[in-house]
Amino acid sequence: MSKAKSAPIPRRPLHFIGIALALVIIGAYFTLPFVVQPERGPSTVAVLTESKKANELGIFKTGVEVIPLAGLGILLLGIWNVMTPAASRAISLLMSVAGLLVVVYYINFFRDYAADEAAYISSMDSAFWIMLVAGILAILQIAIPRPVPEERYRITKLFGNQESVILFGLLLLIFIVGIANPRFLQERNISDILQGNAYIAVAALGMTMVIVTGNIDISVGSLVGLLAVISGRLVVAGLPSPLAWLIPLFVGAGIGAFIGFLVAYLRIPSIVVTLGMLSIIKGILIIWTAGERVTDMPADYHLSQMRPLGIPMPIIIMVVLTIVVVLWMRYSATGRAFYALGGNAEAARLSGLSQRRLLMTVFTLNGVFVGIASVMYSTQFQIIQVTPPPALELSIITASVVGGVSILGGTGTAIGSTLATLLLNFIRSAMIFINVSPFWLKAVQGLLILATVLADLIRRRRQRL
Amino acid sequence: MQETRTDPRNPTVHDKLRRLLISQEGVLFLIMLVSVLFLATRTDKFLTVDNLLQQGRFMAEVGLIAIPMTYIIITGGIDLSVGSILGLTAIVLGWTWQELGFPLELAIITGITSGTIAGFVNGLFIVRVGVPPLIMTLATLALYRGLAEGISEARSARGYPEWFFQLGQGELLGIPTQLWLLIIAVIIFAIVLARTRLGRALYAIGNNETGARFSGLTVNRHLLFIYTFSGFMSAVAGYIFVSRVSTTRSDMGTGIELDVIAAVVLGGTSIFGGTGSIPGAIIGVVLIQLLKNGLVLTGVTSDATIVVIGSVLIFAILVNNFIQSRRNEGD
Repeated sequence: MSKAKSAPIPRRPLHFIGIALALVIIGAYFTLPFVVQPERGPSTVAVLTESKKANELGIFKTGVEVIPLAGLGILLLGIWNVMTPAASRAISLLMSVAGLLVVVYYINFFRDYAADEAAYISSMDSAFWIMLVAGILAILQIAIPRPVPEERYRITKLFGNQESVILFGLLLLIFIVGIANPRFLQERNISDILQGNAYIAVAALGMTMVIVTGNIDISVGSLVGLLAVISGRLVVAGLPSPLAWLIPLFVGAGIGAFIGFLVAYLRIPSIVVTLGMLSIIKGILIIWTAGERVTDMPADYHLSQMRPLGIPMPIIIMVVLTIVVVLWMRYSATGRAFYALGGNAEAARLSGLSQRRLLMTVFTLNGVFVGIASVMYSTQFQIIQVTPPPALELSIITASVVGGVSILGGTGTAIGSTLATLLLNFIRSAMIFINVSPFWLKAVQGLLILATVLADLIRRRRQRL
Repeated sequence: MQETRTDPRNPTVHDKLRRLLISQEGVLFLIMLVSVLFLATRTDKFLTVDNLLQQGRFMAEVGLIAIPMTYIIITGGIDLSVGSILGLTAIVLGWTWQELGFPLELAIITGITSGTIAGFVNGLFIVRVGVPPLIMTLATLALYRGLAEGISEARSARGYPEWFFQLGQGELLGIPTQLWLLIIAVIIFAIVLARTRLGRALYAIGNNETGARFSGLTVNRHLLFIYTFSGFMSAVAGYIFVSRVSTTRSDMGTGIELDVIAAVVLGGTSIFGGTGSIPGAIIGVVLIQLLKNGLVLTGVTSDATIVVIGSVLIFAILVNNFIQSRRNEGD
């Protein structure tokens, strides 16, 4: 900090270049004409997207939606740049990656249509060209000389944690697969991946807290199944939908508290308790439902299909909860205590933290998050299967672990687990888009999990040296 | 280290019997006897030689994997990839024989070798790179199952010659062949764990890995060995599995890791490492298998039995915790 004060880096106009470029891209996308259609005159991309008339023009096949997304990224990076000019070298690198994402669209576009007819390209209007130029500028701005940043903003430091490694991996994946198969970038696909797996990310938030304290819960998969059926049966029995959404949260909290009681007061290792609970819950679920799936839920029950402000509900829940958990774990006394407990239980005890109460809290909270996840899962489709996706608990634990949560406790953040959920499922979808045989999906996924874990280990070892 | 109590692992002759009765194995054995007697009174189909031998056939695979799993958990590690190694072995066996035209003997050897290599890879990463066992085997759980799915492409290999089924479906002196294998393996590896330097070293590693390192134990070599051993035993279990069900499928052995871990933990092996025994693990395997079978025979649905088994797991650990804490106070 003292170093920053002794040599402050002045804000210069070049620090605003990111914001400027982002405004140009987003502005052009939403206001300027993109293509000249003889019968309709000039229209913006935003209008075309709504009219869905432009499919024959091939604009959407190449995933034009990536442009405003990249523009949003550049805008956020630009604001960050203005706020901390010292970090601008590292930021400029990330901004170039976002610029590359814009250019991906154009590479695909020219590759697919340039051979067709030159006249087609000449029908493209100002927004088309302005966004291309802005994208290229966003890449080129990395060449602007910048003062050497102070130590903690070095690029190597920026990749000093698992979260940014995963974020970078995610961008790289979108970039490469986007070039190989432009359809991957279509809004519909991206939104499907996000919506379909948001509930895993939410369950992984609870799991992250549990693992941070040095415990584990392998019963979550069957608990999601049980709570989903409870929710569905309640609403079919005539309960109002909001109650059917809330009750699984309380049941989840109750079961979580029971697990917490066994772990905290009767001192049974959490892996043993939850191994037992896994069988108990699964058995109860099958006996109770007799394998019969739940159908005929009322229309207003489908929380996951709602789109307030045009954004699908699961995405909103996932983003909001991730932010809440990140802040809560970072700044609340209990959140800090979880890290303390996982880092060194003995030291935590000596500094006056009640291990029992913390364990009760973390497992109860985990139950609530599983409850939320199960409602997101059960309101997704018109029917609720009584068997949750197989090995769901493994997907959830994998997301937490790949996100940088040390299985030994003490480290890891919620944002990492959410990003990891997204990365793992983007990989799965990407493999389908680049025609990997479906039989090899799991093997590639296993390799990538291994690669992520290894990257994390190597990074940590380097930091220690 | 300087405790005045007698070391529970070095009992005097005097209190050996008492120890045996209140040890985890002793308690578990009593629970098993009680449940067997109870089940026998409810149905006369349960306590028959035929039925018990048949159950021995079913528990051979879990039992064989439980041996290395006990070793691994004693050192404070875990291996979640055993079910996937089982599946991979089965697929390699079927694929090399049917698609590549290997002689069946060679296919069996190839299958078991690939399973062993899979375990060796686990060990190598855990020891050399320092990946925590839970994470490493979580990744290879997906990876090995994925390899099995990729190689097999959802095709199953069947139509094996008659001699191939001897191990999985045959009998030797009236006892299922694989049960012989399990009994011999249990005796050998129980002695290895309890009476040899290798076995003692595993306990030392589980109690205090750094301490074991400083006292000159080749910790890395021991760990590498037990994970490779785990791959080998899972591979043998895979071979038995194929021989028993007469076909290979890539989803074979899915979820068996949880059965094995439940049995081992039920048998008194602490998940934190340092304690445990092979007899305990085997009693755990037998208890679970007999409960499953006995409950089904008394008319309980097979779904309800997993509720019972889950409850027994938690309850047994609870009882044991209680007894062990009383014992420590009593000493």
